[in-house]
Amino acid sequence: MRSPNSSLATTLLALSAALLLPGQVWAQQPQPYTIQGMVYDATAQRPMADVAVTIAGTSLGTLTNREGLYTIRASVAPGTYTLEFNFIGRRKETREIALAADRTVSVDPVYLTETAIELREIVVNLTGVAAERRAVGNSVESVPGAAVSEAAGASAIDVALQGKVTGAWISENSGQPGGGVSIRLRGTSSILGGAEPLYVVDGVIVDNNTEGLVDMSSNVVRGGAALTNALADLAPEDIERIEVLKGPAAAALYGSRANNGVIQIFTKRGRQGRPRISLRTEMLISQPPDKYDLNMSPYAGTADVIWGPADSVGQPIARYDIQDSIFRTDVGYGTYLSISGGTEETSYFISANLRNEGGIHQATEATRRSVRANISQRISDALELSANASFTDADQDMVPEGEQTQGTLTNIIFGGPTSWSPFFDPDAGRYPNSPILGPNALDIINNWDASREVTRFAGSVQAVLRPITNLTVRYLAGMDDYREENRYFEPPYSISPGYGGLVQNPVRLSRQFNHDLVAEYVATLSPGVGLSSTAGFRYTSDREEVIRAAAEDLPPGQDLVSGATQYASQAITEYRTVGGFLQERLSWRDLLFITAGLNVEASSAFGPDERWQWFPRFGASYLLHEEPFWQRAGISNTISTLRLRAAYGETGGQPPGVYTRFENYVDVAYAGKAGLIASTTAGNPNLKPERESEFEAGFDLGFFNDRAVAEFSAYFQKTKDLVLAVQLPPSRGVQSQLQNIGEVSNNGWEAALTTVNINRPSFTWRTRLSLAANNSEVKKLVTASDTLVSGYLNAVVEGQPVGVFYGWYYDRDDQGNIVIDTLTGLGRRARDADGNPLKKIIGDPNPDLIASLSSSFDIGRNLQVSFLLDGRFGNDVANFTRRITEYFGTDKVVEREIQRQIEQKTDPDLDPIKYTLNGDRIANYEEYVEDGSFVKLREIAVSYRFDQPFVRRLGAQSIDLRVAARNLMTWTDYSGLDPEVNMFSAQTVARGVDFATTPVPRTYVISLTYNF
Amino acid sequence: MRPFCGVDKIGAGRASFRTLAAVLGLCVLAGGGCDLDLENPNAPTEGEVLTDIDGIISLAVGMQDQYAAAVEDFILPSSLGTDEWGTQTRSLLSYRSLLTGELFENSFLVVENPFAAAYEVVKSSNNLIENAPQVGLGTGLETGIVALAKLYKAMALGMAIQIFEEVPVDISVEFPVPEPRATVLDTVLSLLESARSDLAGVTDDDLSTFRSRVLGSGFDLRNTVDAMLARYYLVAGNYQDAIDAADRVDLSVLSTFNYVTPDRNPIYNLSFGLIYVAPLQSFVDQAEANDQRPDYWVDTGAQPFVGNPDSLLLPLREYSTADDPYPVYLPDEMKLIKAEAYTQLVQLGPAATLVNEVRTQSSSPVDEPVAGLNALPPEALDTEAELLAQIAYERRYELYMQGLRWEDTRRLGTGITVTPIFDFLPLPEQECMTNPDACG
Repeated sequence: MRSPNSSLATTLLALSAALLLPGQVWAQQPQPYTIQGMVYDATAQRPMADVAVTIAGTSLGTLTNREGLYTIRASVAPGTYTLEFNFIGRRKETREIALAADRTVSVDPVYLTETAIELREIVVNLTGVAAERRAVGNSVESVPGAAVSEAAGASAIDVALQGKVTGAWISENSGQPGGGVSIRLRGTSSILGGAEPLYVVDGVIVDNNTEGLVDMSSNVVRGGAALTNALADLAPEDIERIEVLKGPAAAALYGSRANNGVIQIFTKRGRQGRPRISLRTEMLISQPPDKYDLNMSPYAGTADVIWGPADSVGQPIARYDIQDSIFRTDVGYGTYLSISGGTEETSYFISANLRNEGGIHQATEATRRSVRANISQRISDALELSANASFTDADQDMVPEGEQTQGTLTNIIFGGPTSWSPFFDPDAGRYPNSPILGPNALDIINNWDASREVTRFAGSVQAVLRPITNLTVRYLAGMDDYREENRYFEPPYSISPGYGGLVQNPVRLSRQFNHDLVAEYVATLSPGVGLSSTAGFRYTSDREEVIRAAAEDLPPGQDLVSGATQYASQAITEYRTVGGFLQERLSWRDLLFITAGLNVEASSAFGPDERWQWFPRFGASYLLHEEPFWQRAGISNTISTLRLRAAYGETGGQPPGVYTRFENYVDVAYAGKAGLIASTTAGNPNLKPERESEFEAGFDLGFFNDRAVAEFSAYFQKTKDLVLAVQLPPSRGVQSQLQNIGEVSNNGWEAALTTVNINRPSFTWRTRLSLAANNSEVKKLVTASDTLVSGYLNAVVEGQPVGVFYGWYYDRDDQGNIVIDTLTGLGRRARDADGNPLKKIIGDPNPDLIASLSSSFDIGRNLQVSFLLDGRFGNDVANFTRRITEYFGTDKVVEREIQRQIEQKTDPDLDPIKYTLNGDRIANYEEYVEDGSFVKLREIAVSYRFDQPFVRRLGAQSIDLRVAARNLMTWTDYSGLDPEVNMFSAQTVARGVDFATTPVPRTYVISLTYNF
Repeated sequence: MRPFCGVDKIGAGRASFRTLAAVLGLCVLAGGGCDLDLENPNAPTEGEVLTDIDGIISLAVGMQDQYAAAVEDFILPSSLGTDEWGTQTRSLLSYRSLLTGELFENSFLVVENPFAAAYEVVKSSNNLIENAPQVGLGTGLETGIVALAKLYKAMALGMAIQIFEEVPVDISVEFPVPEPRATVLDTVLSLLESARSDLAGVTDDDLSTFRSRVLGSGFDLRNTVDAMLARYYLVAGNYQDAIDAADRVDLSVLSTFNYVTPDRNPIYNLSFGLIYVAPLQSFVDQAEANDQRPDYWVDTGAQPFVGNPDSLLLPLREYSTADDPYPVYLPDEMKLIKAEAYTQLVQLGPAATLVNEVRTQSSSPVDEPVAGLNALPPEALDTEAELLAQIAYERRYELYMQGLRWEDTRRLGTGITVTPIFDFLPLPEQECMTNPDACG
């Protein structure tokens, strides 16, 4: 092989030729210059720190210091340059500077004004290629790092994004620390495939596997569910900003992995200047929001006779509510240190983080230790190298929940009646087995182990080459490598007196590589007409290995894989893609931008005939307010911004398995010999990606010098070729085959109104209101009458949103009233003439409207108060917790049943009330579907910055004191503990089912940040 | 490392993609390894299995497992639909519907499973018959594997036509067409004859590798081919051929399906594992006094227990542990086949002799039931009707739970004491819905 240099040069030549360079301008001899100036807040007339000052067209730049001063030392060719001043939430300013004989240039002071929108904000639409927002036809949601790192009590980045991305449906599936999170961007657009977005950190595609190695909530029959979140491995404080590409119109260049949208995360980089040190220390207090209302009747009921100590209904009885031994208020802590700085040639950002989050559930906690180094070095004027590296070690202690019979909350709601005493039995030397499920919640807390440890290295090396002024070539090699070790231990006797114990120690090893090479050439075709050409190449390679070891019948005291019966298995998944893209962006007089792009990609998951796929995109952005007539007519005094935009794009989705194209054979053994048989799922060599197309159009409207800005987007998504299992004639010796059959549409709108309500030197008040609605509809299944049920009652039905609730329902009379069954005193299920109970669609877990409202108040120089309300409206929740507590006699309502049973002893004519063991009611899913609409006070925070002289005397520039709370209040009609959780974790179709799921805690945070 | 990896694998005839791929040949920068034809490291694919000696051998082993695992699906309709079993209280609605005929649907797994399992075996057999000769196996291995595949295909199709009235034979087409019973029987018999003639060309020594690497222990291939020929010639009404085939079977050898943990004997699994079925007490009550066979099959001394629907059940004695082998056929079936064939050929003397041989057997070198009864006097076996009735009785107690009782009711007509719940099962719903040629 030739040397890397020569092949790189060849590459560049090829690219240059491909791009038809109109002309080449080679750089003049560079000279050293020092550029200095000040930046002020236009309202407060105070110096502004942390304003990014850059020389346009170069990567040279710095940040202003606390005095608002910036100094750029740069070696550049003499000439005229533009200085750019950027600060999120401020109108961008530019200054022309002439660099000539004087080596030191002083720039006049720059004043930045507050705006509610920044069209010149830089967004990155594909690896390494930046564009100004105003040039992009699709909506890009950009969330500044501060909004993530300051999110009170948020355990992970995705949690911190709640309420901050218009239209994103972000749910914490469980309140256990490190519990899984699911994000749906513009609806669910797959059925068998995944529905979570693609995550890209600094250009590196990272693994966000939501599959649990040990099922911790729903069991394997219903798809299994994890209580884990891969994004919890990233420290939110490291984040510079996050961009959310919600659909194909924005994400087309991510190709066949982007159907669910893309979340691009950028970590901080050092800036030129002396070392800046930031040290944050915080205390977190987590508190359960509520607990179950249990049956505390002083008299025995039916369940107490069957499973409890009672001999007859109505006898006085003792009861136990052990929730106070299960739930707790716990204290966690966090420490974060970062050091950043740089010189002209070198910049660095180094951070370390230790965070411990206590669980509101006994025996649960999550701890993260992480370090990061982002370093960049200028080798020559034309070449800059940078390296990002992060290492994380994260531990998580969990308890099973949901329908796992080993769950603690599960055992509270139906392990035994509340009259059963679960306390330690000194005579037996152990906790008694619960009479219904077997495990004892107190035993689980004290003696079981469900833990997980992740060690993760993620990093990249990047080279940026600018051989000529207008050409930028970037190469990035990235890797995400992690090892996840799970551990699950059930001690002997813990389920039944004869139980021999179980230990499972599965390990997942995952490694993902990506290589990206992108070249961008900017040309001015004629005055006012510019063309930006981009060509890129991407290679990705993923390998995952899962090794499972398990043992049953453990020797006493043994909790590793050892013992009489041992199991082991190994599975490997390898997956590669190769692709390239071309994009042309034409700009006309800086007011009209037209983009066209094409991504061509091949994936190892598909057979040769369907391997190569192409994904086009188009976009247009028209800045009406830049038109001369707009300025002349004076409209711009009122309507300062009016941008019209439209975009179209296509993306793909991966099949449910990467080996489904093969006719796979399965291992069997017969009479002691190893054998093979054909899988009954036939391979499909013609399988291709699920293909999503999206048209999006919208506008940005700014009033009063952009003090108020409305953004609106409407989108129309269609996903076709959805992979579904198609039944085949069994006479062919097979059962089914995955085929590209289905179709789903997601149409909706998103709107945001951002305003700076009051902007005075001593008081600033900003608000942001965002609203979004999505309407999903299943358009086509294998046959029109198909009802694919996932989990308990989520179904995929033609003409309905993905995941509607489908199940048995109430018998009602002509007036629509529930018919009361005199045997139970309660309603009963509707049945057909043969007495078979009937099913229909009885609810929809998808919200009709997602809304959030945030407000912040700057009072005086140093005090800030802010809050964020986050709401979902029109979503149903299946309260399967109540379904169980009623049936097993542990619910509060059963007190009425017992009361009636006692009354009937004196008045036999009274109608009965029967919740306990009411077999018809437990199957009547309609009863348990409730309105899950809610508004949560997601965040509320008060922060004060100490920068008085005494602080300086302590050696710090400033100290920030912050008192904040997360999920402090919830307004909802839902009768369970939390309408947000889901026992199915991040599963695609099964949403909105609450079944002994840990509620999301209230978290209080007190933090001190020292800035040196 | 190829400079432009993947180019030769790209969709044929798409020149633009090729050009582009050439540009994408830049993937050399990625450090190579961009081959997109990744294999599945977890499982071999059909292409690998069918072109490889070890693959063919493994498939031949797997095919035996497919059939052995499906035995419980094959015998359920016969044992529940006649008078052999009742359903225990834990059994599923679908099992009870086979017993009573009530609330029956062709979507039940009890319908789907035997059909699907038969054709999974047929698919494996077809692959072996077609590919075993192509991979360079030695004569003995090749002949053994092909003959074994023909036998298993014949057994699977033979089982299928005892449960379903018409079933497909050619499954290589998109929509296999169900064929009349006579056509299927012809196929079964010609497969068996073909296997027999294949085996005639090799010696037992030739087959020694085949026996050690492929064949389950306790399985005599030549005997089993002849036994199945006898069974299906009788069903087809080719009585002399049935007698000739049965005569060739060595009755001192038993062939069995074997179940090594985690596999389970199918009847053990149904009765003790799933706790779905158990013998009807009437099976014991209706036996002749002193007949030793009920006690071979059933724990006759146990306390009867109540099933659902209401019936009295007894626990099994035979197949009461998970790793008990299950016979492919029982030796006395050969005698009873001959007895029945002679009766049909109106050679009543030899038929009566054979019936009495079965009745008077009091010990056996192999694990099979023995009646230990007295011979019947000649006058009790001197009409065709008497003989068929007696053969029906002997078959009931000799061949209990062998999946043959249902077919017996079709042949032995008035001689048999039970009216089956179903004539045949309908084809499964999935076949009807996915195959336009299946259900009319």
